[in-house]
Amino acid sequence: MTTKTIAASVYDWVDERLGITELAAFARHKTVPVHAQSFWYYWGGISLFLFLVQCFTGVLLLVYYRPGAEAFESVRQITFVMNFGWLIRSAHSWAANLMMFSVLVHMFSVYFMKAYRKPREFGWLSGMALLGLASVFGFSGYLLPMDELSYFATKVGLQIPVAIPFVGPAIANMLRGGPDVTEFTVQRFFALHVVVLPALFVPLLAFHLFLVQKHGNAVPPSEELIAPEHRKSVPFMPTFLRKDLAMWIISLNVLALMASVFPWALGKQYDALAPAPTGIHPEWYFMSPFEMLKLLGMVNWLQGESGEIAGILLFTLGIALWTLIPFYDNDKESGRRGRIAHYFGLLAIFALVATTAIGYWTIR
Amino acid sequence: MNYPFWDIPYLGSGWVIGIIAIFHVMISQFAVGGGLYLPLAERKAMREGRSDWLQELVGYSRFFLLLTGVFGTISGVGIWFAIGLTHPEGTSTLIHNFVFGWAIEWVFFMVELSTAAVYYYTWNRIDPKLHLTVGWVYAGASVATLVIINGILTFMLTPGDTWLAVAGTGHEASKFWNAFFNPTYWPSLMLRTCVCCSLAGIWALISASRIDGGTLPQLKSSLVKWSTRWLIPSFVAMPFLFAWYLAMVPASQRALLRLGIDTAGAGTFSTITRIALIIIITSATIIGVAYYLAYRNPVEFNLAHAVAILMLALMATGAGEYSREMLRKPFVIGRWMYSNGVRVPYAAKIDQQGYLAHSEWVWNGSGTSYSRGEAIFRGECGSCHTLEGYRPLTSLLAGRDRANIESFITMLHEYKADSPYHRFMPPMVGTRQDVNDLTDYLNAHVNPAAAVGLKTVQTAQK
Repeated sequence: MTTKTIAASVYDWVDERLGITELAAFARHKTVPVHAQSFWYYWGGISLFLFLVQCFTGVLLLVYYRPGAEAFESVRQITFVMNFGWLIRSAHSWAANLMMFSVLVHMFSVYFMKAYRKPREFGWLSGMALLGLASVFGFSGYLLPMDELSYFATKVGLQIPVAIPFVGPAIANMLRGGPDVTEFTVQRFFALHVVVLPALFVPLLAFHLFLVQKHGNAVPPSEELIAPEHRKSVPFMPTFLRKDLAMWIISLNVLALMASVFPWALGKQYDALAPAPTGIHPEWYFMSPFEMLKLLGMVNWLQGESGEIAGILLFTLGIALWTLIPFYDNDKESGRRGRIAHYFGLLAIFALVATTAIGYWTIR
Repeated sequence: MNYPFWDIPYLGSGWVIGIIAIFHVMISQFAVGGGLYLPLAERKAMREGRSDWLQELVGYSRFFLLLTGVFGTISGVGIWFAIGLTHPEGTSTLIHNFVFGWAIEWVFFMVELSTAAVYYYTWNRIDPKLHLTVGWVYAGASVATLVIINGILTFMLTPGDTWLAVAGTGHEASKFWNAFFNPTYWPSLMLRTCVCCSLAGIWALISASRIDGGTLPQLKSSLVKWSTRWLIPSFVAMPFLFAWYLAMVPASQRALLRLGIDTAGAGTFSTITRIALIIIITSATIIGVAYYLAYRNPVEFNLAHAVAILMLALMATGAGEYSREMLRKPFVIGRWMYSNGVRVPYAAKIDQQGYLAHSEWVWNGSGTSYSRGEAIFRGECGSCHTLEGYRPLTSLLAGRDRANIESFITMLHEYKADSPYHRFMPPMVGTRQDVNDLTDYLNAHVNPAAAVGLKTVQTAQK
């Protein structure tokens, strides 16, 4: 038997059981719209790729990471002793940050293409839930090295839920595993990061991808004005898939470049009794809400606890409005509502960028 | 030592050479590879009667002439200026040893420039066979420039025992050929030839990607596919050539590549390993992207794809040149001259007589002179470090008090074989007084508050 015939027999055997030919035929018939904004279609795939990189590097880190009292020492060993440990840790951290960036680009591109409209509401809602989970992934992962910066930043971050009336302190205590950030907190965050969050994230991601598959790529309003028979498209298989994979390879190169040239730093071991060092700040994707809360706290009549509560309420309201946009701007005929949603999106970008810039500008 | 110091704050002198060199290498290696690509493509077009190819080649040769003849020559001369100013001691040694080689290179360079212009301006004006001959003359001249400069570049890494035996005697040029055909000459020449061919293919893809695949599918398809094939030598031979090259590099230098395997700590010279990793991933990506996007789908191959491959090639070239430069540490000329311009056999003498006693240009002639510490910093540290910027000493020494900085410099001064810095940093040469002066200068920058009121010792006037 030649290699070709062996391969054909294996394919037939698998095909008979899994129906690969049908799937391939389906993929060949599936098309992806081509227009001036097609570039934005790749960002969901890039986010997925970066998530997969984190899964892979996360498992490798898991081999050497020891949560609890030895957390810092184990990360120190990974970064400065293990062969290529620094590379795996850098790739993991950079992939997380690049994924947050690509997810945000993906979310805004979906928003401005109005891809949340009927029948894609669940796609939007599941996407928002994935963004929320990704943020918690980031927050919980940030503490795990237990260096000075991550310790104090987490300490500050966990002060925010304390301001929630009635239940706030209990929630914060539950997350911390006590009244302060300690090795118990790391243990909890570790469990959250490697078990709870993946258990929630992966099925939700599968649901999100299923919806993308079911409804296909939405076209932007400008494209909707063109009659369907005059719109351009390319087959998903192999044309779009090939380009999508090329974007993955480019993302891999960007990731490798960042991880190699700017390896992820590890600060000094935390000292709970030491004063917080200067320049404590959250990760860039939390800088905007952090700065918004800070700015509201500076308003005279909102100082103190009431300012924090007002800040949390305002922020929650903003996120709720953003999440529920498909139910407000639900139809392509909704001209006025569509325009308001568009301006709301622009306002959100402006607020995010401005508060993030102010946050970095005023780091002390 | 014999020349003035050119202080470049923030960027550092190494990057002045680096930025110009990486830009130049991208173009000069294209000049060599493209020199082979053009006559071979022309010959193929003539044999197969492809007039559409010939028409494309006219446009491509104009692009080639402009890029290599203008940007290549300007950046080439720029390297001369840059190395002369930033590393005069090393440049001086190269000139004394290779003046004959450079003279030959300039002859070929003039032939190269002239024939490139003649080649472009005589399309459809002279007999096609004669035109093709002009192309071959260009190809021969451009390959000759590579053959020569490769000898000089590889000499800096591995000058060879024969040349080292006469180094410093005034008879260095008598061992010209030994220095030229040094241990890494052949693997490096093969490697660079492969890179030249790849760059020829990649730049040709830029040109071919702009052909309208809708109206000229056959032309685009054939040119894109043929250009992609120019990457095959690299794909097949590079891993073996790299292995050969590394086998010829002294074990002490090869060991540098391992420094960054287990750590990413600052000041551990781990950068070289990290940058070397970039060569691997970008090279693999170029092959993958070129195969899937260009070779398998030539008609849909567009300018954005071609630019992406070119950018990857730029990254690979930059990383490769950076690694090659770093592989020489702690020398600029292997075992003969340290990276700060101090000749290895002179170190003991300088330790006895003092660094500034051998520095002819430290006094600037005006009423205010350098402090001794600053002059020593510029001479001994400035080749690789800045105060604030690239490899900044204020950051690398942060957290150390004066005593700690002094013990660190003393460690570099003693240069014991088991010192971790022995592998990639030159010794700090000079007297005890020099160590103190350098310590004072660095301490004043690392701990400004502690250094207030410190009276700096000025350099002696000459």
